[in-house]
Amino acid sequence: MSKTIKVALAGNPNTGKTTLLNAIAGTNLRVGNWPGVTVEKKEAVVNYNGYKIEFIDLPGIYSLGNQTAEEKVTIDFLIKEKPDIIVNIVDSTNLERNLYLTVQLLELEIPLIVVLNMWDEAVEKGIQIDVKKLSELLCCKVIPTSAVHKKGIKEILDSIIELAEKPKFIQCTHFESQVETFLLELADEIRKKQPILFDLFPKRFLVISLIEGIDLQNFGIEIHPDILKKAEEIRKKLEKLYKKDISSIIIEERYSIVISIYEQCVKKDTIKDVDTTLILDKIFLNKIFGIPIFLFLAWLMFEFTFELSAPYVDWLDSSLSNVIANWAYQGLTAINAPEWLISLITEGVIGGVGFVLVFVPVLFFLYIFMGILEGSGYMSRAAFLMDRFMSFIGLSGKSFIPLLIGFGCNVPGVYATRTIENPKEKILTALMIPFMSCSARLTVYAFFVTAFFTNHKALVILSLYMLGIIVAVTLAFILHRSYFKTESQHFILELPPYRIPTFRFIMLSAWSKTKAFLIDAGTFIFATALIVWFLLNVPFGVQSKEDSLFGHIAKVITPIFEPLGFGHWEASGALITGFVAKEVVLSTMGNIYAGEVVEEEQQKIGIIEGLKEIGVGFINANIEAGKKLISLFGLISNEEEEEPADNTLLNAVRKEFTPLSAFSFLVFLLLYTPCMATIFAIKQELNSWKWMAISVMISLTTAWIVSFTVYHIGKLIISG
Amino acid sequence: MTLSNVSVGKRVKIKDLKTDKNFRKKLMELGLFPGQIIEIIQDAPFGGPMKIRVKDYCIALRRDEASGIEVEEVE
Repeated sequence: MSKTIKVALAGNPNTGKTTLLNAIAGTNLRVGNWPGVTVEKKEAVVNYNGYKIEFIDLPGIYSLGNQTAEEKVTIDFLIKEKPDIIVNIVDSTNLERNLYLTVQLLELEIPLIVVLNMWDEAVEKGIQIDVKKLSELLCCKVIPTSAVHKKGIKEILDSIIELAEKPKFIQCTHFESQVETFLLELADEIRKKQPILFDLFPKRFLVISLIEGIDLQNFGIEIHPDILKKAEEIRKKLEKLYKKDISSIIIEERYSIVISIYEQCVKKDTIKDVDTTLILDKIFLNKIFGIPIFLFLAWLMFEFTFELSAPYVDWLDSSLSNVIANWAYQGLTAINAPEWLISLITEGVIGGVGFVLVFVPVLFFLYIFMGILEGSGYMSRAAFLMDRFMSFIGLSGKSFIPLLIGFGCNVPGVYATRTIENPKEKILTALMIPFMSCSARLTVYAFFVTAFFTNHKALVILSLYMLGIIVAVTLAFILHRSYFKTESQHFILELPPYRIPTFRFIMLSAWSKTKAFLIDAGTFIFATALIVWFLLNVPFGVQSKEDSLFGHIAKVITPIFEPLGFGHWEASGALITGFVAKEVVLSTMGNIYAGEVVEEEQQKIGIIEGLKEIGVGFINANIEAGKKLISLFGLISNEEEEEPADNTLLNAVRKEFTPLSAFSFLVFLLLYTPCMATIFAIKQELNSWKWMAISVMISLTTAWIVSFTVYHIGKLIISG
Repeated sequence: MTLSNVSVGKRVKIKDLKTDKNFRKKLMELGLFPGQIIEIIQDAPFGGPMKIRVKDYCIALRRDEASGIEVEEVE
């Protein structure tokens, strides 16, 4: 049996922590969320030299406070879970600020390894760090690495094992002796009154926190009042002595350790080459061109995500419905399976798998491009540029891209919020995305405008898009001013140097995130699709949709839509299936209004033939994607064909709806819950059933209220 | 003089942080404590945030937040 070593990775944001974990763990990386918060959690297990090393990537933080969700997660983990070793990843090019966290980590009295990442970059910039000296001054192992070039990885693993075999920790960074005396004084008091505290907390961390007056309540232990009194006494004495508030005194004490170490270990050559970041920022953050460049990049990303993934989506779709479903059908009829089982497998199960799989290419492409924008350092520039416009509704520039992606499809839009670190911003953005009118909704609009508004097609569709944006902004504004009022409004944004992201790293992280989607949201989407199949087909053998369980439910909820102008069960039925996916609204309507669709005679497909079709389809998809990539840059013009609308359905719909009730229906369709995939994406990304439920509630009530208003104002205008 | 009305390209020394307690703590932990010299590199369009250099890195601060940071010019 191998021994387990628990290792926590800690460090500032933008130090290449995740890249390092990727370099160590490869595809073993698991991406998830910390329980109860919208902070990303990454874990990996590595077997090395007979040891099982468990890596936990802590959120990127600048200090060990308890102000932000990231800081709380970190300190909670380090105190409660007590990892065997902390690996502190430090940016060699920005050592001074990074060492502040190192000094704080040393207060935790856990064996520490300092990793000087981006070593090559520091060398290039003419920064010389005396590793040996640094190691002596910090009393811990210091390893220079380059995660991008996978340099120093073996040394890290070897050092972890060495330290695990002979755990050692020496505290050799100290404050001014005056302050240290006070620390000892309080430690004495604790030893007398409540020595158990020393088993629960690292000694130095405890004493400093108490003197600083940091609340330790959430660790679930009552501190003896005498200790608190003593701590307050000391705090007052120190504040009087230094004529500063206690936090400033402690931070300055830590920084004086940092500065002294920094000055002893770091030498800088006079800068020989030009500062590329400075030059690039002159372009990307330019007062005139900055925003147009950003909008262009955002558009490019939108196109990349949806255009390049489209051929693969089509390929998956046709492979499933033409080949796999066909095989299943043949197999099942060959063994004389009952009708309902055939339907369950070919429509329910395979259809459900299809609902999940169609998102895979889109998400994969999205994660790749997000990875490039993030890894290069551009994403924080986007936040910088757009801050002025987004901050009044409590958002930053980082929310812009997810919202934009939402117009293509809400699901990748929700997942694109991954780059937003601030939980409040992330929640707000995820709640706004369902109101971004996605392309699936456009198919329904297009049909209805053909039926009712032939002369004002564009105007009607545009008004729907605008309405969605207005509702989203209003919602964010209200939540920002009410629910999130107490949240800190402070904005500190690091603008890291531009870096070239590594291809391998981007592919790996895109894959692990897509995998997380399949496991988490995918399961729920599949299950919901099965439930809907069940509703449509119970009682078994039901001929018309009206008599199915689904038809009954549609009829029960119909009165809700009476005041909105479309109180007939066909419309409410279409809205229910719209919950599965907006793409199926029209086919449901066709099904209901125009009667049963004649079953197509299925051609038999052999194994070889089928495999060939899948293979050829995949090759074609690649060619198609390649063509699209070229056409994005305007070399080949790619004309899309418009499908002619179904005339029977047009006439049926014209009989049931008036132009006004049709518009009201479209408004409802725009605003109510986008689809199950979006809902489960919100659940996964925000790591919360509560926010998922809130999102659904908001969508449904807003849709009803706005449709009601639109319908009745419209009626007044028409009659008046 | 506060940081918010320093023009681009100037180097200044932080004198005092007149902000609320939590924000002051945050700024100090990032290395923006009294005595530190900082440089204003760029500002965003339409009165958006400003990019400043402190120690070996750059951060952005909003104008109204920068107005709580008192500074003096250095040569």
